[in-house]
Amino acid sequence: MKAENFASQNRKTIMLGIIVIGFSFLLVRLFQMQILQKSFYDQKSQNNSVKKIEKIPVRGLFLDRNKNVLVNNLPFYSIFITRADYNTEQNKLLESVLNLDEGYIDKFLEDNKKFSKYFQLRLKRDVPFNVIAWIEENIEHFEGVNYKVEFQRGYPLDVMGAQMFGYLNEITQSELNKNKNIYKQGDFIGSTGLEKEYETILRGEKGFEYILVDSRQKLIKKLDDNKNTIHAVKGSDLILSIDAELQKVAEESLKGKRGAIVAIEPKTGEILAMVSAPDFDLNKFASVTSDEYFKNLINDPAKPFFNRAIMSVKPPGSTFKILEAITALELGVIDKNITYNCTGGGEFYGRYFKCDAVHGRVNVIQAIEHSCNVFFYNTIYKIGMKKWNEYAEKFGFGKKTGVDLANEVSGFIPDENYYIKEYGKNWPKSIMASLAIGQGEISVDPIQLAQFTSIVANNGDTFKPHILKGYIDEKTNKYVSINAKPIHIAIDKDVLDLVKKGMFLVVNGRGTAYASRLPDIMMAGKTGTAENPHGADHALFIGFAPFDDPQIAFSIIVENAGFGASHAAPIGKLLVQTYLGKKLNNETNNKLAVK
Amino acid sequence: MHINYKFKDKFDIWFFATFILLLCIGLLAIYSATQNNSFAENNFIKQLFWVGIGIIIFFIVFSIPTNSFKIIAWPVYLFSVLLLLVVIVFGRKISGAKSWLYLGSLGFQPSEIAKISTILALSSFLSKKDVDLEKFKDILIALAIGLTPVILILLEPDMGTVLVFIAIFLTIIFWKGISLFSLFIVLSPGIVALSSLFGTVPFILTLAVIALILIFFKKGIIFSGSLFAINLAAGFFTDFVYHALSPHQQIRIKSFLDPMSDPLGSGYNSIQAKVAIGSGGLFGKGFLEGHQTQLNFIPEQWTDFIYCVIGEEFGFIGSTITLILFLILFLKILKIATTTKDEFLSLTIIGILSLFFIHFIINIGMAVGIMPVIGIPLPLVSYGGSSLIVNMALLGIVANVFRTRKNYT
Repeated sequence: MKAENFASQNRKTIMLGIIVIGFSFLLVRLFQMQILQKSFYDQKSQNNSVKKIEKIPVRGLFLDRNKNVLVNNLPFYSIFITRADYNTEQNKLLESVLNLDEGYIDKFLEDNKKFSKYFQLRLKRDVPFNVIAWIEENIEHFEGVNYKVEFQRGYPLDVMGAQMFGYLNEITQSELNKNKNIYKQGDFIGSTGLEKEYETILRGEKGFEYILVDSRQKLIKKLDDNKNTIHAVKGSDLILSIDAELQKVAEESLKGKRGAIVAIEPKTGEILAMVSAPDFDLNKFASVTSDEYFKNLINDPAKPFFNRAIMSVKPPGSTFKILEAITALELGVIDKNITYNCTGGGEFYGRYFKCDAVHGRVNVIQAIEHSCNVFFYNTIYKIGMKKWNEYAEKFGFGKKTGVDLANEVSGFIPDENYYIKEYGKNWPKSIMASLAIGQGEISVDPIQLAQFTSIVANNGDTFKPHILKGYIDEKTNKYVSINAKPIHIAIDKDVLDLVKKGMFLVVNGRGTAYASRLPDIMMAGKTGTAENPHGADHALFIGFAPFDDPQIAFSIIVENAGFGASHAAPIGKLLVQTYLGKKLNNETNNKLAVK
Repeated sequence: MHINYKFKDKFDIWFFATFILLLCIGLLAIYSATQNNSFAENNFIKQLFWVGIGIIIFFIVFSIPTNSFKIIAWPVYLFSVLLLLVVIVFGRKISGAKSWLYLGSLGFQPSEIAKISTILALSSFLSKKDVDLEKFKDILIALAIGLTPVILILLEPDMGTVLVFIAIFLTIIFWKGISLFSLFIVLSPGIVALSSLFGTVPFILTLAVIALILIFFKKGIIFSGSLFAINLAAGFFTDFVYHALSPHQQIRIKSFLDPMSDPLGSGYNSIQAKVAIGSGGLFGKGFLEGHQTQLNFIPEQWTDFIYCVIGEEFGFIGSTITLILFLILFLKILKIATTTKDEFLSLTIIGILSLFFIHFIINIGMAVGIMPVIGIPLPLVSYGGSSLIVNMALLGIVANVFRTRKNYT
């Protein structure tokens, strides 16, 4: 035995050293993990086993001014895939069950690669119940596949308001980046129209439930009883100023046409109807938007996504004569007795401008009634460019009305500087004659015209046009009304009376819209025909009713239709009939009931 | 059992208490890990039974005459090699490794018996009077004794157990008193083998270093040349073995060499294990309160990842107590190994110490993420009958040597 080798003191020390070092290593590591990094691992452990389950709130409804439900929520089933658990061998079966094209799921998974593989990806919305039932029965063949009840928008009255109501869409990356704490990938968010405008009121508050899951993400139990659970709060219901019936009639009146209608209650500025045609079927946006349908809409030259009521600018045609008459009377450059002799036209600054007829001597009322151009040619030169522009802007033209919808445009009212820029210091003054009859470089949109009509109808006082009257706060269950900004334009009452008398006669005298008069309701209005260098003229009509107590004011544009009198005014008649006829009936009924 | 009046001299009650405490900790942890798992609900009862059997075996081994270990060394060794051969042919596969033999419904791992027998056989050979580790022939015989079971186990294949055998072999020849150069001869093929796993460049660099060392020792061109050839062969052999390994073991080796290569595969266990232990904190989440444990985030936690249960539910205090109990156990075994004057017994006991220690360091090191995920159990604590019986028998040998240590002075 070699004492210096076998079990020598050195070797004993080395053995002891190895044991102590090994022990120390583990001890230090334990200290580091369990004491120093405890919170880090704690968090990980929480994330592991405690799962936060999001409860998507039910979106707020749209109600009309009479509390009719315009937009509601319909339940449907969606199929989700969780990549972590999903086996692509199931593709074929799932594709055939869900009626998807071959290879769709592969592409879908590829497209969604950037998301966590534990994330539930929505494969298909609006899956029929029998398909869901079948999948549930055969769930063992569908690992990583699950379904959920979701809600889609429904339109129970078949009132579309397509561009106004708007639709929901899956949140985009940029929207998500802005609101990371509220939304998550795959959430639906108001994408256009009122859905977008009032997203914050409509969306409600997400609820959260905490559940304990095991390593396979299977539910073990719901965690803590209501301590950390946050219940979802339903979105608040919007009370719109829209009148469902009127809106529906207005929509139908423009079926197959291009154009727009805006109807406003003059006393409040509340929008009763807003239509832009052509429109599209919101139902098709509620669930799965087929690419084909969407592409067709996008490529449609009639631009159905475009809300003409607030985005389409056109010359106002003869409807602008009302503004000119008010301006001239208010400025005192004409009075009610001044007449001009219409011989079917006249020469102004070296250019000949015609009238539609030979009107003979007309005063301002008659000029409005018959839409005599000659009278207004003469008048605009008395008003002058500067004042004309000033009054147009005073009545809300050339700027946004501020209606509660995005993408409104301002339109354009030319001033002297504009023409100087275009033609130089000696710009042809003959241009003004065009402006006098609402042609040329003026561009206005339907909502501006409707707002103007409201101001006139209600003698200078109205409110900013708006669609949202208020909402019912889901938390307090109280009605919160939206206060619109008042509009006050000081104009002599006599001036307005004169002009309105002219508008009265347009419909009820021998005026341009006499064919659209109503036997029992006094409507006033003004027709217009905007010349269109690209095609047929646009038909316009603005008006209000009843004459002595206006409850509805409106503007109607039917593109490429021809004369306002024959193509726009009848729609005005229909609107008034619908809105006031019903009202009158109700009042009669009420009176009968009282009796 | 014969107990004389000097009981304290013959039976180290603290040694006994230490491993009984470890067994109790193990039982608690197994109870916690299996109570929510339908596949393993009977494991606690089974382990309780094995603990009972183990204690009986401990006392049997404790009581038998000490010289019987030397007598049975070779027969047991040959028997266990035979069993290893049988397991390769008839064994049942569990998670990619063929290491189980079944007698009726009773399964056991022959490699566990091979651990005892190899320790005994190697100690027996090395304690022969004329054996000298400076002799090339004796080194080769020692290697043959130590590596025969290793090669057979590699064929099963069971990585963890191979490491255990290598550790036992190195510790025993170290304790015997191998010289620096002989140790180099023994170790260099292993180092070359490991380096070959890292790729061609590290492999060539390692060979160059070995060539330089050989030149430094000036042992003659033929001797040095043949040594170098052995090293070279070891490198190529490793490469061959690596490719012959089952894919799950290749992945484990890869994930050890590059932990980020497979974070959700074999790295998953390691991550979940760390989360369990780390989130335990100072005092732990309490018995049966560990989320990671109770929700089965770590597969088969009652076996190789049992330490996570202790870490999560009993915290830093519980895990440290466990560590300290092992430390006491090791120091006591080392003390006995150094006080015994019989070379065979001393080598045997140091072999037993190395077996426990390598299990301990790899198992806990794996749980706390400083060792690769190699499937070997924590002695006395992990669930498992055959390993428990063998460990108790080994402790019985240690206690037996303690009992008779004065006979050899």
